[in-house]
Amino acid sequence: MIAVPVLNLIIPDSKNEGGRSYLMFSEDVLKELKTFQERYEEELQRILSKVPDAQKEYVTFSGLTVKPLYTPYDIAKTDFFQDISFPGQYPYTRSVFPAGYLSRRLNIRQVTGVGTAEDTNKRWKFLLSHGASALSFVKDDGSGSRADSDDERVKGLVGKCGVVLDTLYDYETLFDGIDITKYPVHMITSTAYALACYLIIAEKRGINFKELRGSMSNWMRPENECIDITEYCTRNVPLFNAGYLDMRNVREGGCTASQEIAFGVATTMAGSDALIVRGLDIDDFLHRVTWFVNAGPDFFEEVAKFRAMRRVWAKIFRERYGAKNPSSLLCRMHCQTYAPTLTKQQPFNNLIRSTIYALAAIMGGVQSLHVNSFDEALAIPTEFSALLSVRTQQIIDLETGVTKVIDPLGGSYYVEWLTNKLEEDAIAIIDTIQSMGGAFKAWDWMCDEIRKAAMRNQEEFDSGKRLLVGVNTLVDDDDIQMRALKVLEEHADFECISEYDPSVVDRQIARLNKVRRERDSGKLKRAMDDLLDIMRAGENMIPPLIEAVKLGMTQGEFAELKSEAYNQAGGGPYVCSPPATLA
Amino acid sequence: MEKAIRFLLVRDDYYHQRGYWVIAAAMRDAGIEVILGGIQTPPETVKTATQEDVDIIGCRIMQGAPGIVIPILLDKMKEQGIEDTPVVVGGVVPEKDEHLLRELGVKEIFRSHTPLKTLVERVKAIGNEYKKKRTEK
Repeated sequence: MIAVPVLNLIIPDSKNEGGRSYLMFSEDVLKELKTFQERYEEELQRILSKVPDAQKEYVTFSGLTVKPLYTPYDIAKTDFFQDISFPGQYPYTRSVFPAGYLSRRLNIRQVTGVGTAEDTNKRWKFLLSHGASALSFVKDDGSGSRADSDDERVKGLVGKCGVVLDTLYDYETLFDGIDITKYPVHMITSTAYALACYLIIAEKRGINFKELRGSMSNWMRPENECIDITEYCTRNVPLFNAGYLDMRNVREGGCTASQEIAFGVATTMAGSDALIVRGLDIDDFLHRVTWFVNAGPDFFEEVAKFRAMRRVWAKIFRERYGAKNPSSLLCRMHCQTYAPTLTKQQPFNNLIRSTIYALAAIMGGVQSLHVNSFDEALAIPTEFSALLSVRTQQIIDLETGVTKVIDPLGGSYYVEWLTNKLEEDAIAIIDTIQSMGGAFKAWDWMCDEIRKAAMRNQEEFDSGKRLLVGVNTLVDDDDIQMRALKVLEEHADFECISEYDPSVVDRQIARLNKVRRERDSGKLKRAMDDLLDIMRAGENMIPPLIEAVKLGMTQGEFAELKSEAYNQAGGGPYVCSPPATLA
Repeated sequence: MEKAIRFLLVRDDYYHQRGYWVIAAAMRDAGIEVILGGIQTPPETVKTATQEDVDIIGCRIMQGAPGIVIPILLDKMKEQGIEDTPVVVGGVVPEKDEHLLRELGVKEIFRSHTPLKTLVERVKAIGNEYKKKRTEK
């Protein structure tokens, strides 16, 4: 792995040069252009007025009204060195690295989570053997947060939509034969339990914590566990990306592109404030915060979003937090393509959708990518569909040339205008959040905004204002694609559409019981008591957690300890009558 | 004025919440009283449904196996004597499970991208039918 390369270029900085600006177009050009642009727009209206059903205006997926044409006039105030500059140079609009994909290939990283640890390990090896270059796992929702797999409450969830991981033994099986020094691993979970297992495995393999890489979805939340993880890693595992912004799932929840930027930056600001209170410096941890982002349907808006995201991140943390370490200012991203527009109807269309979303992500310069599989709306991916997702990325990378030129859409009047617009909107949202006392205090407000945006989006689809092929337009009652899939399913000698295998539960319970049988319950009890004391005292839980995990504490037992320590009640139902706002 | 339908909405996982909230808001806007159950297991759902005396239960399912989770829910409802309360399901439901669930008495299975208007109309119709039956008893 390469250390962050720094560009040895002294870029003119207008702030240091007495306000000198580096605008890209001369006053003469702009003056002349203004006249022509106005006349062109009049002409355009005349032409369009004769076209029956011509669309009067286009509103992007995130609700920005855009014009049919952009010119230098629209980006007249854009300062080349301040706003665009070179790749790997502040404000990193074009790329976080000086050489873009030329020095660091795209990480092809498909989220994986099937059945038991053995099943997912097998899938990982399958993907790697076909050219995937990074790994990621997602836990099922039982072992993910609630209880052990033999618990009544998680029936029907075990290994269903993610890998079931109850114990260190499961993690060891998952990582069996996987070189974590070679393949970057991302853990889609925010529990410290996963980190403890990862560290124990690294220790057993003789990997020095100072050199250990990897990342986890430790979204900066106002919770002890989250801050403990970041603090512990900052001090002990400095190359591990401990801070993480899951804006991808927030976007899936319905928010807009500018909210995706703003909520992410504002949440990091709140998390940073909490870490600074614990005595850390912004440059100690910020360079280990990475983003999980989305790539939605509106192609240019998405490309602009990635560019604006990098710029907003760099500007905010340099200007407002005084970050000095250049790597603190690098907004590095793993992206997963947008899923709410994937359809059960005409399922192969999803291949095309996801390819276009992936193209936007790559043109936007993300570091790592997951492309959703065509069967997303039907089931979890099979080897067959996951491999197509890997191939999608390989074809874009190897055959189309788009990774060969850095920030290929930079300089497009439209994309630059969109980048400016998204930056401006995001900064305004960040300021609103700050005026409410920061993201942790504005949490409910952000949730509400996300839901409102989701509702607007749904209404657009329902009314037909926004089109979705196969759903509200070009509907095919005799769905030939679905028929094709069924034929394939009938005749294929491989799994074609994933089906849940309930026997996974028995296999998992056997694994769980083996751990329970073999552990020393007296020693474990003492270790768990120590852990509980530390948690109650508000001290960092990671060191005693590692000890308890080594002694066989399960994920479910850890969840119980946490609720005991932090009084996390289950949060009973609450009634919401009209017209009260759903909180 | 006629009392609003009481609709209990539950979901089965933490991450995927979009449909849950959008449906809740649409139901509320249509004058249905929405009881937000959050993430609930079948026994918890039955407990809430009994306590809140609801007219209809909506399960948003994404992570769980519908063919396992919903039959458990229906069994637990029977144990508590609330098996007449109608159940509707939405989310990712494999076709094979769809048949099974309908056979077991699930009133409606909503696929993704179902327009909100359709959802509201069906929930109102099913909820009202049950309310009417209850009053007659």
